[in-house]
Amino acid sequence: MLPQLLVSGVANGMLYALIALSMTLVYRATTVLNFGHGDMAMAGAYAGLVFLGFGLPFVVAVPLALLLLFVLGFLVQRFLLRRIMQGPHLALATMALAVGYALRGVARLRWGNQVLNLPRPYPAGAFSIGSVVITTDAVVMCGSVLVLLGVLLLLFRASPLGRTIRAVFQTERGAALVGINVPLLHGMMWGAGAALGAAGGILLAMVVPLTPDMGEWVLVRGFAAMTLGGFGSLPGAVVGGVLLGVAEEVLGFYLNTVFINITAYVVTILVLMVRPRGLFGRRALIRV
Amino acid sequence: MAALLELSEVTVQFGGVVAVDRVSLTLDPGEIMALIGPNGAGKTTLFNAIAGNVPVTGGKICFRGREIQNLPVHGIAGCGIRRTFQNGGLFPDLSVIENVLVGLHTAVASRFFGLVLGGVGARRSEREATVRVRALLDQVRLAAIADRPARGLSGGQQRMVEIVRAVAGLPPVLLLDEPAVGLAPPVRAELANLVRRLARENGIGVLLIEHAIELVMRVADRVIVLSEGSKVADGAPEAVRADHAVLEAYLGHG
Repeated sequence: MLPQLLVSGVANGMLYALIALSMTLVYRATTVLNFGHGDMAMAGAYAGLVFLGFGLPFVVAVPLALLLLFVLGFLVQRFLLRRIMQGPHLALATMALAVGYALRGVARLRWGNQVLNLPRPYPAGAFSIGSVVITTDAVVMCGSVLVLLGVLLLLFRASPLGRTIRAVFQTERGAALVGINVPLLHGMMWGAGAALGAAGGILLAMVVPLTPDMGEWVLVRGFAAMTLGGFGSLPGAVVGGVLLGVAEEVLGFYLNTVFINITAYVVTILVLMVRPRGLFGRRALIRV
Repeated sequence: MAALLELSEVTVQFGGVVAVDRVSLTLDPGEIMALIGPNGAGKTTLFNAIAGNVPVTGGKICFRGREIQNLPVHGIAGCGIRRTFQNGGLFPDLSVIENVLVGLHTAVASRFFGLVLGGVGARRSEREATVRVRALLDQVRLAAIADRPARGLSGGQQRMVEIVRAVAGLPPVLLLDEPAVGLAPPVRAELANLVRRLARENGIGVLLIEHAIELVMRVADRVIVLSEGSKVADGAPEAVRADHAVLEAYLGHG
């Protein structure tokens, strides 16, 4: 049974990794924990639904939804957060939370309590390798996230833009002094974080019901994966996400199914108590 | 014709403390101007004001006739005014060559899509920049450490890398804040030659803060002496050297 649990856990964990990675991007760039991130992922899934409703094919609707969320993330940073960036951290976190609730409110206004599904662009099914059953959902989830991670890795490690982003991550003062427009890059990182979150929301909405409250589920798991991997660590976000996914499946099977829903909370509490830096975390980045 | 860099009555105040008091100066292309004075004279604050790191309380700073004192730090750097720090201006986790290259990609906004999509033009300019930076590192004997992370370099090496980064894009104005600190005498001599060559061959205007007086006398065309935020002397190195009052008060010579 364990191989089956591992496969299912890794598939879910890849999604958590994507969410945690997108939150980490925003955190590393601006030291703001985006408590509205889950709602941005939810908004991305609804945006995908709306574009599909216009009759657009999936390969057009999804990039449009990601682009829309990129613009939303950029505008949130530019017009709501930038002016309070020098303020207390609590103000920034509260603003991010308020933006999330506002998005949730808009979704409730439009869709109420309807439970919708984002139609899959591929046939649902499964196949077996030995005793392990692998669903097409798991393959698509893992494949999509791996492709996104690969693109991000290339962008970060082998492109001038990635070098610029890494420079800003290390010292904003130094980056500004070599002419990098740090506020613009902050906006772009919020945009990229929102777009990646939206990708996670779209993947999720293909396998679980899409509701305006979906963001909370996303946020809790993204936050737990980030905590486990270590705040600010990009590899940590990926490893933390995968470990969380596996832990949910294994604990849910061997202890109690309720653990599928509470593992994220348990992991967050335990890590913060025992090793607040997580697995790969550096010294905490705190805006004062 | 407008001067390369012109400061008119520049004042910087922190609360009730006047750190820079109505300082005026003009820097021409190819000129090397040294800024000297005792600790606390306001030299680094003046640099910070020019680079946009601290707000100017009064007066004007013009670059080629355009007022720049209200521009953001990256905007001033984008004009072509580059500075180095007394300590730690490098990106510790980037390699030496990455540290220098990152300074050459200033127009993130306009080149964003080229950078992301890896367009032909962007790739070519990246290749050309890499070749140019390696040659520059070779000139200052840093080629062997080009691919090492900045974190592990000695203080002197970090300082040289920072200088190379500042000059790599051939900025019109270079602000060097105590570049010779921590450098061995032979490296200081190389630094002096590099600064002179950059100024003479490329017309870079250099403003230099330096306590190493032999370096100042060797490279500077003009010396400005600051004391308690105010300019107290301005002239050729020989004239300042001959000014006994200045020597006694600020250079430590009798």
